Amino acid sequence: MSRSLRVRMTASLLVVLILALGMLSIVVHQVVSRALVKQLDAQLADDASAVAGMAEDEGAAVEFEYESLPDFERPQRPAYFQAWLDDGQVLGRSPSLQGRALPRPSPNGGALTYAWLTLPDGRPGRAVGLRQPLRIEDAGPGSARQSARYVTVAVAQGTETLDAALGTVRRWLALWVGITMIAASLAVVLSVSRGLRATRDVAARVAQIDAAKPGPFLRTGHLPDELAPLVEKVNELLARIEASFARERRFTADVSHELRTPLAALRAMVEVALRRPRQPADYAAAIAEMGDVVGQMQSLCENLLALARLDAGAVPVRLEPVALRPLVDDCWRPFQPLATERGLTFTNALDPAAHATTDRDHLRIIVSNLLSNAASYTAGGGSVVVRAGLTTLLQVDDSGPAIPADILPHLFDRFVRGDAVRGAGVHCGIGLALARGLGDVLRLALSVENTGDGGVSFQVRAAGAGPAA
Amino acid sequence: MRVLLVEDYQPLARALTQGLREAGYAVDAIADGRQGLALAQTNAYDALVLDVMVPEVDGLAILRRVRATGSNAGVVIITARDQLPDRIAGLDLGADDYLVKPFALDELLARLRAVIRRRYQATTAVVTLGDLVIDSAARAVKRAGKPVTLSAREFALLEYLALRRGQIVTRTEIWEHVYDFAAEPSSNVVDVYVGYLRRKLGDGEPGTRRLIRTHRGLGYSLDAEGGV
Repeated sequence: MSRSLRVRMTASLLVVLILALGMLSIVVHQVVSRALVKQLDAQLADDASAVAGMAEDEGAAVEFEYESLPDFERPQRPAYFQAWLDDGQVLGRSPSLQGRALPRPSPNGGALTYAWLTLPDGRPGRAVGLRQPLRIEDAGPGSARQSARYVTVAVAQGTETLDAALGTVRRWLALWVGITMIAASLAVVLSVSRGLRATRDVAARVAQIDAAKPGPFLRTGHLPDELAPLVEKVNELLARIEASFARERRFTADVSHELRTPLAALRAMVEVALRRPRQPADYAAAIAEMGDVVGQMQSLCENLLALARLDAGAVPVRLEPVALRPLVDDCWRPFQPLATERGLTFTNALDPAAHATTDRDHLRIIVSNLLSNAASYTAGGGSVVVRAGLTTLLQVDDSGPAIPADILPHLFDRFVRGDAVRGAGVHCGIGLALARGLGDVLRLALSVENTGDGGVSFQVRAAGAGPAA
Repeated sequence: MRVLLVEDYQPLARALTQGLREAGYAVDAIADGRQGLALAQTNAYDALVLDVMVPEVDGLAILRRVRATGSNAGVVIITARDQLPDRIAGLDLGADDYLVKPFALDELLARLRAVIRRRYQATTAVVTLGDLVIDSAARAVKRAGKPVTLSAREFALLEYLALRRGQIVTRTEIWEHVYDFAAEPSSNVVDVYVGYLRRKLGDGEPGTRRLIRTHRGLGYSLDAEGGV
C-alpha cells in the first residue's frame, strides 16, 4: 500500500467508481439489449404469424401459398422461414433457404418459442417457433372458425442490427465510464492536493519554530477542519514546551541566585580580610567563616546534583533495614551549632527499635533536608521534635511560625518564593523538592501541615498509608 | 557617613559591615526588611544598601516606602537577580545604583561614595578647601601639601563637614551621620573628635587659617575662607 495519502485516496475512489460504473453499465446494457431483443422478437412473431397465415386448410388438402415478402428474398442477410404440418410434412420454405432447412421448433403449447441459433448461411441469428391451427378457406380474417390441423412455423433472421446497436451502446458506455473515471481521478487528486497543501504550510511553520522560544503559536483559523485538531494539539505541545522552558529558565536563574549570594559573601570576606594586615586570630576566624559558607555552597551543589540525577531517573535504590533513631541523630548533628545559636531545643522521640526497609543514603538526604528546614525556619527559642505518628514513619514537628496558606501547597516546589517569608538565614530552595523527589523513589509520601497550635509538621509516611496532604 | 545595610545572609552582612566600617562608614546592619524599613524611616542615613530578597519587607518595598517619605538618601541595591527587568524596576523606584552579587567590595565603596556625593551635590571625590585637600576615594588628606593621617572616624567627620562645607552642621547631625548604633553614646564625643581632627590638621596653629569653626550653641562649619 502506498504511503501517499493522495495515491491511496485516488486508488480507492477509482476502485469504487469502477465497481459502480461497471454495474451501472451492465444494467444499462441489459435493459437496452432486452428492449432490442423484444423488438426483434415482435418482428419475428409478426413474420411468423404472416407465414402461418399463408397456410390454409382446404378440407382435403392443406395449401401453402407464399406471398412474396422482401425480407425472405433479399440476397444480402435475408430472413428465413419454414412451415411444417404436425406430421412433419414441410409446407413451405422461404426462397432464401435455397433448399436448406431450419430446425423444427419443439411444440410449446400455443406459445411462441424463441431461440438463438446459427442461420443456414452461418450468421448468428434468432428464430421463433409458432404452432397454430390452420386457417380455414374462405373464412375471413378474424374468423372464429378454426381448423383441427396445425401448422408449425419457424422464422429466423440475423441479429446484425441488434448486435450493431448493442455495440454502439457498449462503446458509449465505455467512453462514459472512461471520461468519468479520468475526471473523478483528477478531481480527487486536485482536491486532496489542495487539502494537503495546508499540511505543508503547517510543516513549514513548525519548521520555523525556535525550540528554545516556541511562541508565537500556529494559527488554526484558515485550516481545514480535519487539520485544525492536529494543529491545536501541536499548539498545546508548544505551550507545554514553553512552560517547561520557562521552568528551566527560572530554575537556572534561581540556582544562579542561590549560588551568587554565598559567593558574594565569600568574595566580601576575602576582600575585607586582605584589606589590611590583621592578627592571626582574625584571619583564622575569617577563614573559619569562609569554610562554613563553602560548606553551604557544597551542600547546595550536592542537592542540585542529586536533583539532576532524580530528573534523569538515574537514582539507584538499595533496600536494607535502617534503624531510624540513630539516622535522625546523625542527620541532626550538622545543624546542632545553628540550632544552639538560635536557641532551639531538639528532641529525637523515635523508638530505639524503629526500623524501615529503605535506602539509607536517600532517607538520610530526606531527613537532613527536613531537619535543615526546621533548624533554619523555626523561630528562635522554639523546639524541633522528631517522632513517629499513628500513620507516619516519622515526622518533624517544629514550634512554628505556621506557614502561610498560600505557600503551603507549594512548599515542596523548587525554589519556592515563600522561603524568604518564613525567616532569615540560608535558604537553598531545593532541599524540600529534593526530599519529596527522593521520597517518591522510595515510595515515601512527604507532606506538610500547620498543626493548629502555630507549629508546623513535616510528615513522612509509606505511600498509601493514611492521609497525605 | 552613615549607612544602613539590609541583608539577610549573615556571612555577607557581617563581611560588608566590617568592610564598610573599616572604610570609615557608620554602619547599621539588619537582616529583616520590616526593621530595616523602620530604621530607614527614623534615621538620617546618607546611604542605604538594600538586598532585594530579604524577609518580611523586600528591598524594593523598603526603597519605595523610603522614597515616598521624601528621603534623598543614596540607595544602592544589591541583588543576585541580574535580569534587566529587575534592574529597571530598582532604578525606576529611585535606586541610585545597582550591584549584582557577587561584587567587589571596592566597587560597592566607590558607588557609595558616588551616591553620597550626589546627595551633597558634589561632583568629584576630591574636595579642596584652601590648602586642605580631601580625597574620599583614596581616603587621603593633605594640608599645605603634607599628608595628614586620620583615623576612620576622624576622616568620616572631616568628610561629612567637607560635603556640607559652608554650612553650619549641628552636633546631632554629626552624630547621626558619623556614628552607628555600635558606637557608645556620649554627650561630648563629637566635640572630642572635632578636637582630635583640629589637632591633626594643625588647624588654628600659628601661620595657618582656621578651617573648622565653632558656632557656639549651634555646631561646627568647615569654610575655605576660614576665620577665628
